[in-house]
Amino acid sequence: MASKITSSSTAEYFSKNLQQVGFSSGTKAVLTTLKEAVDNSLDACEDAGILPEIHIEIEKVAAGAHKNMDQIRVKVTDNGPGLSAEDVPHVFGEYLASSKFGRGRCSRGQQGIGISAATTWAQVTSAHGARVITKTPKMKQAFKCEVEVDIKKNVGVVKEKSNINWDRESGVSCEFIFDGRMQLNGDAGILTYLLGTSLVNPHLKLTYKINDEKPVTLDRVSEELIEIPESVSPHPHTMKLGEFLAHGTLYGKSTLATFLKTGFSRVNEATFSDLTKLGVKKAWFKEPVSSLSQAEMKTVFGALQEAKLMAPSTRSVLSIGEDALSKSIRRLGEVDFFSVLSRKPTICDAKPVSVEVAIARLRDSKNEADDPVELLRFANRVPLQFDKGACAILKSIESINWKSYGLNQPKRSIPTGPYVIAVSVVSPFIKFKNASKETIDASDELVAELRLALMQAGQRLARFVNKERREFDLEKKRAHIEQFGPILIEGIGRITGAPRTRLDKATEGLMKILGRDEAAAEDALAHASAKQKEMVKKLDQYDESDFNNTEDDDNDSDDSDVEA
Amino acid sequence: MTKKMAEKILEKKKKRLTTGSEIINLAQQTCLGMLADLEKARRPVLEATKCSLDNSFYNPKVGYLTPGDKKVRSELNVSSVQKMSRSVFFLEILLRNIEVGAVNTKRELYYMAKGMCKKDALYKPLDFEDQAESDEIVDFIGEMLEVYREDLNCYANDRGGQTYSQYLIVEETLPNGEKATIDLSTLGTSPFQPKNRPQNLKLKAKKKIEFCMVVESEGTANTLVANGFTKRYNNIVIGSGGVPSNAVRSWCKLIQKELDVPMFFFGDLDAYTIQNIYRTLKAGSAASLIRNSDYSAPDIHFLGVLPEDIKKYDLNDYPVKEKDAGEARSLKKAADALKNDPFFQDKKNKKLADILRWLVKEKRRCEQQAYFSVDPRDPTMIEKILVEKIRKGNYV
Repeated sequence: MASKITSSSTAEYFSKNLQQVGFSSGTKAVLTTLKEAVDNSLDACEDAGILPEIHIEIEKVAAGAHKNMDQIRVKVTDNGPGLSAEDVPHVFGEYLASSKFGRGRCSRGQQGIGISAATTWAQVTSAHGARVITKTPKMKQAFKCEVEVDIKKNVGVVKEKSNINWDRESGVSCEFIFDGRMQLNGDAGILTYLLGTSLVNPHLKLTYKINDEKPVTLDRVSEELIEIPESVSPHPHTMKLGEFLAHGTLYGKSTLATFLKTGFSRVNEATFSDLTKLGVKKAWFKEPVSSLSQAEMKTVFGALQEAKLMAPSTRSVLSIGEDALSKSIRRLGEVDFFSVLSRKPTICDAKPVSVEVAIARLRDSKNEADDPVELLRFANRVPLQFDKGACAILKSIESINWKSYGLNQPKRSIPTGPYVIAVSVVSPFIKFKNASKETIDASDELVAELRLALMQAGQRLARFVNKERREFDLEKKRAHIEQFGPILIEGIGRITGAPRTRLDKATEGLMKILGRDEAAAEDALAHASAKQKEMVKKLDQYDESDFNNTEDDDNDSDDSDVEA
Repeated sequence: MTKKMAEKILEKKKKRLTTGSEIINLAQQTCLGMLADLEKARRPVLEATKCSLDNSFYNPKVGYLTPGDKKVRSELNVSSVQKMSRSVFFLEILLRNIEVGAVNTKRELYYMAKGMCKKDALYKPLDFEDQAESDEIVDFIGEMLEVYREDLNCYANDRGGQTYSQYLIVEETLPNGEKATIDLSTLGTSPFQPKNRPQNLKLKAKKKIEFCMVVESEGTANTLVANGFTKRYNNIVIGSGGVPSNAVRSWCKLIQKELDVPMFFFGDLDAYTIQNIYRTLKAGSAASLIRNSDYSAPDIHFLGVLPEDIKKYDLNDYPVKEKDAGEARSLKKAADALKNDPFFQDKKNKKLADILRWLVKEKRRCEQQAYFSVDPRDPTMIEKILVEKIRKGNYV
């Protein structure tokens, strides 16, 4: 007898597969919970046009219920617009209940999974859901409650409701207590996450308190809100068949022509004649989408993929900007020198993408000369801290010859030294390798774009490294003259038995020869210094210059600037 | 350096120098040239033959790789002053060794130089990080003066070349002029170890020697002898010990020159053996261009394993492990050799090039030890096959 087929809710699916959304270990659980809460706060502030101010508390509360786990408390409080009491269960207790789903904007959150998954993790490991306080400007008092996920029904359940006085005009505070492990430093470290977040969010004021340590505040370095471009309709070439069919159901009785023209970007009347040549019958355009069979919709989809369409607009992509990045990078620590590079948005794999790079040499870095540089990866301004091996960013870095830019690099590997390389990819449609959004898929086009950005940033960095190298060269050359001169002349003297007078004359000759080389080295240093000054001037005068036009900024003839 | 002085040095280089006094004289001339340049504030230039494949030519008449006209020039500037100082420093040590008749290995020279650099503050800037750095200078001096390192009294440790024969007599001239005679048949199961300085050796055969066989593996050479190969045949058996050392190469050259016996190489059927071991033995190497005339035995033949032997004797061959970095590198080097190595490009060595091509294409290999499996019950089967191959002319 066949077994009974049952269906399960979305919440049930995710509660059984939390590892898919970033809860595969204690360390990841802490980082994912923190990340989801901070992402929501930043997205909410930016949507409401508020400069974000976020307070974070993380502490180990007790021993965990599970082996090798601690009970961790994570609390994130923001100054955002707040949530209405009605929205709280949707946001914290319901999967796929997102205001951002498929809207084609560069927001951090996209699908409405993350924070509900954090609530579920807290619920299954400590029997408590998310503790939420929220207040909108319209509310007289703040609303306080605990939200749990009803796993069977995929709805949020609100408990312990109360109204309280709160010391702010608006905002949300959410607290999770759950089993996890705290790791502060390293790729998967909490501090790495916090510093990374502050780097790509120059307008963020961040205060964090970890365990009993004193609170640390990273002041914002930019008073300007990052402009979030309006969303655009999806481009047909970015869609898969299933998505196309699902998108079509939203247009029900609208005609196919309306569906195609309003549901997509870059589709117009001219496209229709192309589509008819590719097998779409003219009559279908006037028929309601719901009346078309699946086979007919497949034909339309196939023709759309074949049709030549304009590339998607890059207007929907935001950039942090070189100005903001150059201020923000100084929050990472004492910086010797740095270079930032913001590429113009472009199209990769039919999707608009913006790539930005910041490279800095840190004075107080813990890295030894042989240690790999610290790599910070970002997707839509969210730090990526796991599975870097397969990531497009790492692959791009490894494929570049960093020695050309003055950095040490083992063959086909990440460069070494006390540097930080931060790479940000922003796109409304980033292709991740997994649902927990930890690795960006390494398509050829994206890797090529990343390489360009990295190489241009490397060229700018080389100005500083070059000057140092030239200084070192000159010093070495001066030392060489003093050190080797006597050895060479005296050695020749002993072998040939030449008299002292000849040796003295040879010494004079040697000094002249090496002096000429020293003069050449001084010239090279002067040239490198001038180049560096030019660079510093540009960095200091961002507001006045059109420094964002980067493509042809590096056509000088300095040999070390040329990628082999 | 005046034109006359340079010509004089060049002329001396053309005539190969062997005596210590000639080498000392040439070194002094070179240093005098440097001194004259320095006095006039001109940059001295040290020039050495470029020892690399792109400066190698294969002359089928002589049968070994010879150098072209390319030179490695080291002109004095702030970057090269260290190398030049190191060269003069080492030259002084080597000339002193020649004068007093002392010999040293490269490793000994490295530690001697390092010791001086550590002890004497004046020489500290010359200090060597590792032996490769000091070896490079010793080689440069040899290439600059166009003399063998052995002429500079710098010997390698004797390695490889264990030799067995019932009919070979070696007469060695000792440093004090006395003669020592070694009859290899009196050594029992012990082999004779050839020396790095074959010019001190003279060879005689008690009876006409039919052939000399150089075996890639010293172990296999030993097994052949243990099974009575040298008792049953009037032959010489030599264990090469992998890539032949200078001692093995010059020893084979001496046997070829003095005894004029047919010589055969018995080794694995793989790219590394053909390209590195056998080619070096037969025609020398690119790294030793200036010494190949004395360090190669051009008359030697490749007895096997030949590709056709696999089928003929039903030998156990197997595919090359392309995932193995070493094997993959060998195959790539073999493919490059077919394109760039003048030895394999010469029509005289077409059959060898064909074997190499077959190996690159088929990606298979067969060890020399595969012959042992032809009839495991007959320990003499391997020598029967080898002798049969020689008699039937089944070699390249």
